[in-house]
Amino acid sequence: MKQQTTRQKSATTRIPFDMPFLPLAMEFIDKGARGFGYNDRETGGLVLAMEELFSFYVRQAALGSALEIELEDQGYRLALTICFRTANPDMRAFNLTWNVNPDSEESLDMLGPMIAARSVSSLRLDFGSDEQVALHMTRDRDYPPAGAVALPPSGASGTLRLSEPSADDLRHFAAMAVASGAPFIPPFLLRPGMAADMLDAGHLNAILVTSGDWIVGGLLWRPLTDTCLELYGPYLFSDDPDDRMLTLLLDEATGRISHSNCRGFLRRQGPLAGHERFFDFLGDLELSGISGATANNTYYYRQLKEESGGVVYCGGALSTFLGNQYDRLCLPRQVRETVVDHSRLRDASVLAVELEYARSLAIIRPLCAGKDMAANLTAHLNLLRGEGIDNFLVEINTGCFEDTAFAAALEETGFVPRLLIPDAGRGDLVIYDHSDGTLPS
Amino acid sequence: MNLDILIPDYVRSFQVYTPSRPDHLLMQEYGTPLLHRLNNNENPLGPPPAAASVIAAFSPARAAIYPSGDSYDLCAALGERFGISPDRFLVGNGSCEVISSVIKAFCQPGDNIITADKTFAVYEWVAGFSGIEARLVPLLDYAFDPQGMLDRIDRKTKILFVCNPNNPTGSCWTNQVLIDFLEKAGEERIVVVDEAYREYVEDPGFPDTIALMDRFPNLVVFRTFSKMYALAGLRCGYLAGTAEVVDMVRRTSVAYSVNVQAQQAALAALSDDAGHIAATRALVKEGKMFLRGVCNNLGLETVGGEGNFLMIKTPINDMLMYRRLMKRGMMVRTMTGFRFPGWIRVSLREMAVMESFAGALEDEIRSIRK
Repeated sequence: MKQQTTRQKSATTRIPFDMPFLPLAMEFIDKGARGFGYNDRETGGLVLAMEELFSFYVRQAALGSALEIELEDQGYRLALTICFRTANPDMRAFNLTWNVNPDSEESLDMLGPMIAARSVSSLRLDFGSDEQVALHMTRDRDYPPAGAVALPPSGASGTLRLSEPSADDLRHFAAMAVASGAPFIPPFLLRPGMAADMLDAGHLNAILVTSGDWIVGGLLWRPLTDTCLELYGPYLFSDDPDDRMLTLLLDEATGRISHSNCRGFLRRQGPLAGHERFFDFLGDLELSGISGATANNTYYYRQLKEESGGVVYCGGALSTFLGNQYDRLCLPRQVRETVVDHSRLRDASVLAVELEYARSLAIIRPLCAGKDMAANLTAHLNLLRGEGIDNFLVEINTGCFEDTAFAAALEETGFVPRLLIPDAGRGDLVIYDHSDGTLPS
Repeated sequence: MNLDILIPDYVRSFQVYTPSRPDHLLMQEYGTPLLHRLNNNENPLGPPPAAASVIAAFSPARAAIYPSGDSYDLCAALGERFGISPDRFLVGNGSCEVISSVIKAFCQPGDNIITADKTFAVYEWVAGFSGIEARLVPLLDYAFDPQGMLDRIDRKTKILFVCNPNNPTGSCWTNQVLIDFLEKAGEERIVVVDEAYREYVEDPGFPDTIALMDRFPNLVVFRTFSKMYALAGLRCGYLAGTAEVVDMVRRTSVAYSVNVQAQQAALAALSDDAGHIAATRALVKEGKMFLRGVCNNLGLETVGGEGNFLMIKTPINDMLMYRRLMKRGMMVRTMTGFRFPGWIRVSLREMAVMESFAGALEDEIRSIRK
C-alpha cells in the first residue's frame, strides 16, 4: 500500500502565546498559505480560524508559554496544527460550553472554536502528554465539480483486469462515479481533482477494474483511525453478472489491506447485496442532511487480524449492548459489570467536539470523566443545536475508563448505543447517536 | 531516544506478525472446553517412533551442553540419505531461519526477489523487513505461474522462490515444469524450491530437486522436520544446495541456533520414517476425501492438491467464520492474510477430529443459510 509521504512542504514557527502576537500568527498563516499557492478564499478561512482559536485559547495557556504553528501543504488541502501547553488545571476551559450562555447573543460571540470550525474543513482538539494541547484543522483546496464523462456502453464485455490508477486515471474514475449517479459519493469524489491529489499525497488508495479500453469499476480506501480504514465503493459502471467485478475488487482490496498495519476496515454507505461474503454487518445509522432529507448509512466491518480477546469494564445499557454485540459478532470479549464511583471523579468532565458543518454533524469524544458528565453533555447539545447542528454522535473507546465512565450520563441524556466497531480505537469503538431529536429537560 | 532516526523506513513500516495466543487463553476467551488446532498443518500422529523415543529419553544433563554448532551428525545423515556431501546442507531453526539466511546472503537493498502473491508469506516478509523488494506474481489457476515469474526478472533479481507443493493451494510443479523454469531463469540468480510438504507427495512426476542441482547449480531446496516428521515444536529445517552456494549462505547463518534435542530427534526421525510416512499419507488421504465429501454436500468449493490441508470457500467472510468455529473449539487458518479472502485452510487430521470439525462446519453453514 502506498505510504503517506513525509512532510516536505511545511512551514513551522514558534511564537509567544500572548495577544500582542496574534497579528504575527495570522500573518504567518496568510503568507504561508499563499506561498503554497492557495487562493484568497482558502487562505482567508485558515486565517480567520487562527484568529478565533488564538483569541479563545490564549486564556488557557500557561503564562509565558509558546505557541507552535505548523502549516503543511498536503496537495489537496492545507493542514494547520497549533500546539501549546496549558497551565490551567481546570480542564473545563476546553469544553465548547465554557462560559457560554446559549441564550445570550453577547455570550455567543465568544464561540471562537465554533466560528473557526465554520471557516475550515475540519477541526479537532487533542490532548497529549505533558499538558500539551493540539488543535488540528484542515482547509481543502477549492476544486471544480466533476464534468461530464462517458460511461461504458451497456452490455460491454471483455476480460476484466485490475489496475492501480495514476492520478489522471483516478480523476477520470471520480467523474465516472459522479456521472453514474451512485447514491453514496464521498465529497472527495465529487471533486475529481481532489481525489487525484489525495492519491498523489498517499492519503487515498484505489484499485480500478478495466475491460478493454473502459474503466468499468473501482474501489477506494483511506485511513479512518490508526487501526481502521474506510472503504468507498465498489462503484460499478457496467453489468456485473455473478458479481465478478464486485468480488474481484473486494478480494483484491482485502488482500492488500490485510498486509497493512490496520486491524480492519469499515464501509458505511448503503446496503450491499451479498455483503456477508465480505463483511460483518454492524448496523444502520441515520443522519439528517442539511436539506432535511435523511441518509441511512449501513455499517459493515471486515476484521483482518485473528482475534486476540479482551476485557471491558462497564455497566448499565452499555454493558447489555456490548454483551449482545460481542455475542452476535462472536468476538471473544469479557464484559465485566462495574459501577462508576462518582465520588472519585473530578468535578468537571471535558468533551472534545469535531464539527462537520457540511453534514450538520458533531462528533463528541470524551476527554475526561467528571461528576458533571450529564450536565456537560446537555450543555453541549443545547449549544450545538443553537448552532444549527442536527446530528450528534458520541464515540467512546471500550478500552478507556474515561470513556466508559460516560455510559450512564449518555443514557441519561438520551444517547443510545447504536454501533460497535471492533478494534477501531483503544479497544472497540462504540457509537452513540441522539437521533430522536429530544433534548433532556 | 528518537527511534525515528534509528529505524529504516522498511522496518518501521513492516507489519508485525502476531502469533495466536496459547490454547488455554483462547479456550477461555471463546468459552470452549476443548480446542482442536486445525490451523498449522501439524501431524497428529506425532514424530516417528524412533524420534519419539529420543525425545522421551532426553537427559536433563544434556540441556546444559551446547549443541553441535553446525548440526554435524544431522548433516552427515542427510548426506547419506540423499547421496551427497554433508557440506551441501545447512540446518536451521526451522526453515524460516534458512529463508532469512538465503536472502541475507544474496540480496542487498535495491535488489528484488520474485515469488507468488498467494503462498507462504515468509519469503515476502523477510524481504520486506530487509529492504528488499518482493515482486509478487499472481497464481495461475491456483498454481505458481512460471512464465509470470520469468517476466518479472530484471538485473536486480537475486532469488526466485517457488513453494512446491504450494501452501495453501497444494498445487505442484512437475519435474519438467521446474526444469523448463530453471533453464529460462538462467544461472545469474538463485532459484529456491521450498519443499516443506514434499513428503506428502506420492506423484512420481514430482521433481527430484537434489538430483537437479548437478545440472542447475543455482538451485536451492528447503525442507523441514516440522510437517511430515511432526517436530514443529523443536524447530528444525534445512536447505540443500551446491557446496559453493551453501558455503555462502553459511556466512549469514547463526551457528548453534538448532538445539540439541531437535538435532537428535531429527536424526532419529530420518532413520525411522518409512512406516510413519505411509501412515501419515493414509491419514491425510482419508481425511481429505472425507472433508471434500462434506464440503461437496454443503455446496462449498474446495481447493487442495498435495499436502495435509484443504482450502474451503466460506459463504461468510473468513474472519467471522474463524470466530464462529472457534466458539465450537475448532481453530482453522483464515486465508485473508494469504490474499485469499473468503477462504479458510483446514489441516487434515485423524478421522475423529475431522468428524467433529465436519459437524461444527455443517451446523454453522446451516445456521448461516437459515
